[in-house]
Amino acid sequence: MTIIFTIIKSIFYSLVFPGLLFTAAAGLLLAGIDRKVIARMQKRIGPPIRQPLFDFLKLMGKETIVPRRANRLVFLGAPVVNLISLALIMLFIPVLGFTAFSGSADLIVILYLITISGVALIVGGSSSGSPYAGIGISREMVTMMSYELPFVMILLAVAKKAGGAAGMTFSMDAITAFQRANGSFLFTWSMIPAAIAFLLVIPAEVGMQPFDVAEAETEICEGPLIEYSGAALGLFKLGTAMKMLIMTGLFTALFLGGVSTGMIGLDIILFVIICIVLTVLCMTTVHAVTARLKIEHLFKFFWTFVAGLALVSLVLVWCGL
Amino acid sequence: MAGKITQLMDESAAKSPWLYHINTGSCNGCDIELVACLTPRYDAERFGFKLAGSPRHADIVVVSGPVTSQSKERLIRTLAQVPEPKCVVSIGSCPRSGNVFKGSYSVEGPLEKYVHVDVSVAGCTPKPEAIMEGLYRAAQILTEKRKAMHK
Amino acid sequence: MIQHFPVLAVMLLFLAAFQVEIFGSKNAQVRNSITFAATTISLLMILALIKPVMIDGQIISYWMGNWSPVGGYAIGIGYEVDALSLFFALLVSATFWLSAVYSFGYMEKDHHLGHYYTLFLMLSASVLGLTLTGDIFNMFVMIEVMTFASVALTAFRNNNEGALEAAFKYLVIGSMGSSFTLTGIALLYGKCHTLNMAQLSSILSGDLSGSTMMALGLIIAGFGIKSYIVPFHTPAADAYTAAPTSISMVFSGMVNKAGVYGMIRVAYIIFRAMDKSALQTILVLFGAVTMFVGVTMALTQHEFKRLLAFHSISQIGYVITAVSLGSALGLTGGLFHAMNHTLFKGLLFLTAGAVLTKTGTTNLDKLGGLSKKMPVTTVCFLVGAGAISGLPPFNGFASKWIMYQAMYTKAVESHNFLYAVVVITALVVSVMTLASFIKVTQAVFFGQLRPEYEDVTEVSMSMKIPMVTMAVLCVFCGVFYNLINRVFLYPASSAALNCVNYIDRMMGEGYAENAGVANIETAPVEFSYWNPIVWLVLFGIIFCAVAIVILKGFADRGPILESNSSTDAKYDTFFSGEQELFSQVGGSDLFWGFKKNWGGYYRIMGALHSGIVTDYTTMAVIGTAIIVLALFVFMR
Repeated sequence: MTIIFTIIKSIFYSLVFPGLLFTAAAGLLLAGIDRKVIARMQKRIGPPIRQPLFDFLKLMGKETIVPRRANRLVFLGAPVVNLISLALIMLFIPVLGFTAFSGSADLIVILYLITISGVALIVGGSSSGSPYAGIGISREMVTMMSYELPFVMILLAVAKKAGGAAGMTFSMDAITAFQRANGSFLFTWSMIPAAIAFLLVIPAEVGMQPFDVAEAETEICEGPLIEYSGAALGLFKLGTAMKMLIMTGLFTALFLGGVSTGMIGLDIILFVIICIVLTVLCMTTVHAVTARLKIEHLFKFFWTFVAGLALVSLVLVWCGL
Repeated sequence: MAGKITQLMDESAAKSPWLYHINTGSCNGCDIELVACLTPRYDAERFGFKLAGSPRHADIVVVSGPVTSQSKERLIRTLAQVPEPKCVVSIGSCPRSGNVFKGSYSVEGPLEKYVHVDVSVAGCTPKPEAIMEGLYRAAQILTEKRKAMHK
Repeated sequence: MIQHFPVLAVMLLFLAAFQVEIFGSKNAQVRNSITFAATTISLLMILALIKPVMIDGQIISYWMGNWSPVGGYAIGIGYEVDALSLFFALLVSATFWLSAVYSFGYMEKDHHLGHYYTLFLMLSASVLGLTLTGDIFNMFVMIEVMTFASVALTAFRNNNEGALEAAFKYLVIGSMGSSFTLTGIALLYGKCHTLNMAQLSSILSGDLSGSTMMALGLIIAGFGIKSYIVPFHTPAADAYTAAPTSISMVFSGMVNKAGVYGMIRVAYIIFRAMDKSALQTILVLFGAVTMFVGVTMALTQHEFKRLLAFHSISQIGYVITAVSLGSALGLTGGLFHAMNHTLFKGLLFLTAGAVLTKTGTTNLDKLGGLSKKMPVTTVCFLVGAGAISGLPPFNGFASKWIMYQAMYTKAVESHNFLYAVVVITALVVSVMTLASFIKVTQAVFFGQLRPEYEDVTEVSMSMKIPMVTMAVLCVFCGVFYNLINRVFLYPASSAALNCVNYIDRMMGEGYAENAGVANIETAPVEFSYWNPIVWLVLFGIIFCAVAIVILKGFADRGPILESNSSTDAKYDTFFSGEQELFSQVGGSDLFWGFKKNWGGYYRIMGALHSGIVTDYTTMAVIGTAIIVLALFVFMR
């Protein structure tokens, strides 16, 4: 009986909440709000908030062309792997008070699953055989290398801080529990540099301006996505939207872990609201006021400024502050 | 359920048309006016219009300029790469008639000779309002084409 | 019966080495059968030892000629197989078996194959002997056989440019390693009057006076040269590139593991010095530098096999770092990674060999688009690349995870910020590894197909079998790592930490206790935190859901179109309207932005990797000096 219950529960968790369906719906909502807000910032009316959903449905209705040079299996498999790895990450990110699954070292799994979604994009683009995609994947990879260093430092700082005085933990549950007991990390002064660094990592991870060098549509025709059309492209676009939710959700879990109302319904609403605020703060605003960087500037920015901020936090945490 | 999704897909074809712009020897006047549609004053994005970087992503191909002999082959090749359902919109008088370039040794227009044009916006150059209306009509045609695809 | 297996497995290979030359120098059938029979029987003998040694926890000892100890002193050569030895012996025997099978197809067009198989079997026998022996001088003899067989095999295709040069470099640096080891052994012999490792361990009893410290430094440097840690890595890149691919696989799969094994054996069991934090820090630093230098050099390579060679260096850096932490968790992670490295690096070398046989080149600038022509090779390569970059659910992820956990636990426990930097390095190196494999993926398998490779076909069955076997093992070890841990890693790591049984078995009951050696009891390391099966089930559920939604829910979705006609412009790749052209993005130059940022670093690295043997020798001497000096300064 319990086994059947567990199975039903895992299927529900992985497909509906907080898995595929919730992530997709909330991600599309975030993407829609992002487009609406940026339009309002530029004094435009902007598309309706449902616009990303229309985009996705339209793409599902279009032809999917597999170019002659592409390897069919890899070309069509990449978007699906991308989507699934993103849906999997969400299972391990606590939605304020609620966690679907938890292990004792989620941080590294999450780190690598985010990498998998990037690799899916890269391998898919690479398999299309377009030289534009070749340049795109090189930029995507350098972007990944750029944000990985600060990202790793932030995760280590959080792991050390949440482990208490003489320990460390990679477990999401323990991190949330620690914050519930001792106050959120966002309001702990030694963690503030890390929080700022994380806010700067988010747009690079999602591929938003000014860090969208990989998909620069005006110079390299959307880079790795150039040969994708129809449903495959739709899945990638959905993946990008989901990534917005995942990255902001991860920030919420790592730095606002203690927040919870105690009621699951309210928690979900509050979680989505926090994600929206973070999206507007670190993606929309930055997008609206900046132009695209060059790849070497991006690398330098992340390995000096952002990594420096993260290092400050790591050292402070190491000194027991 | 499936029917409902199909209906939604058909409707969204009109609600999210992505543009791909090809210049076939235009004087750049129409191109500027097309971009003007995306500015805050006209804001074509409120209808879901968006400039796409690759023909594979496009729904509406916007063609400006008389078709020159240099660009003819490239135009046809690029149009072939756009997945169905797709619409071709010509902007300005040049693709319709050749305009002032008519009779030049290097002009091989009009555009209709090579491809079926769904919407043609006339004018040298057409106003952004006119372009907007043309694009909007093209979006409606997309839904029709989408419906025809699954029948 | 079973106690004869270790020595028989080694002797059989040595015997077969000469039989191949006598009977098989003209006839390929005879040659291949002898090689196959010898390697298979040897592998089976080693596999038969799993039950008693790994599961029942026995230690098998064997005195050559039955010269058992007289008056408490070991006088004969003893073979002693504990779980640590057997763990490495398994890696070695699996590697040479797969390599032998691969060689039958891969080498068939070469000449003088009698010599090849003789040397190959000598190499296999020596590395196997090295892992199984209980006598430190016998270990040195095996190192010598190994070095000279390796040198000769490096130069085997001596009609290729650079083969002789690579062999010469290998010879010089390798001999230095052997002589350092020999000097260290001589010092130990002078001090302890015995060469048996079990007896050495109990006599030394953790004593670190001047002469033993010197011996420790020299032996570690000697084995460091054999496992190519920075700054001794320089001949490795040339040797791996010049050698036939089946041999490159052997180099990375077992020859440098022999060095790692030697280091563990010497530092943990003979000297029992790994609980000293100074030694840990020194070796961890060497490991961290090794992984970083290896991967950054790999990023700029233009040659497939050379790139893999630098990755071997980098991955050995991970192993050394984890093993040197001195904790049970670190040892488990390190040994697991050593095992995984054998699997995925072997796999990658085999795919490189497959590409080389079919296209005649491994230059990344001259390849491209082979994925449609060689689908099995491509999938195997992607599995290998995913595993080496540590992507779940492959084996690289499981072992890297354990290592990160071990490193960061160590950092927090010792409150040493240096270890935190090492963790950051390890994580960033992992991404860089991924980057350089993306480069290979783009340059060799994806991207555009070169016109000259239009009629390339998939490789033969004999080459496919080892590749697919290894790819399956990569996934298996990643998913069922708890099983691997229970059967192999826990016995091996506790064998490294506890040497009482090892000494007693060899020298007689109670010997260790008299000498004052005590066990360090360790609880089995259990990993409940990463459960790949749950993840795979979840992956499967979501995959099914996505598939059903796409197929049924979007019943009227747009069709998926594919065409192979070469004229239809619809299926052309988009070239801004131009006709489809060959314009491959040079795979080797994929990361120019990154290289530009790192210009200063690469200039220094370029100057260090000058290709001049005297420079390399100087670097090796300086490296040894640093190890010895650091030991003398910090261990006191």
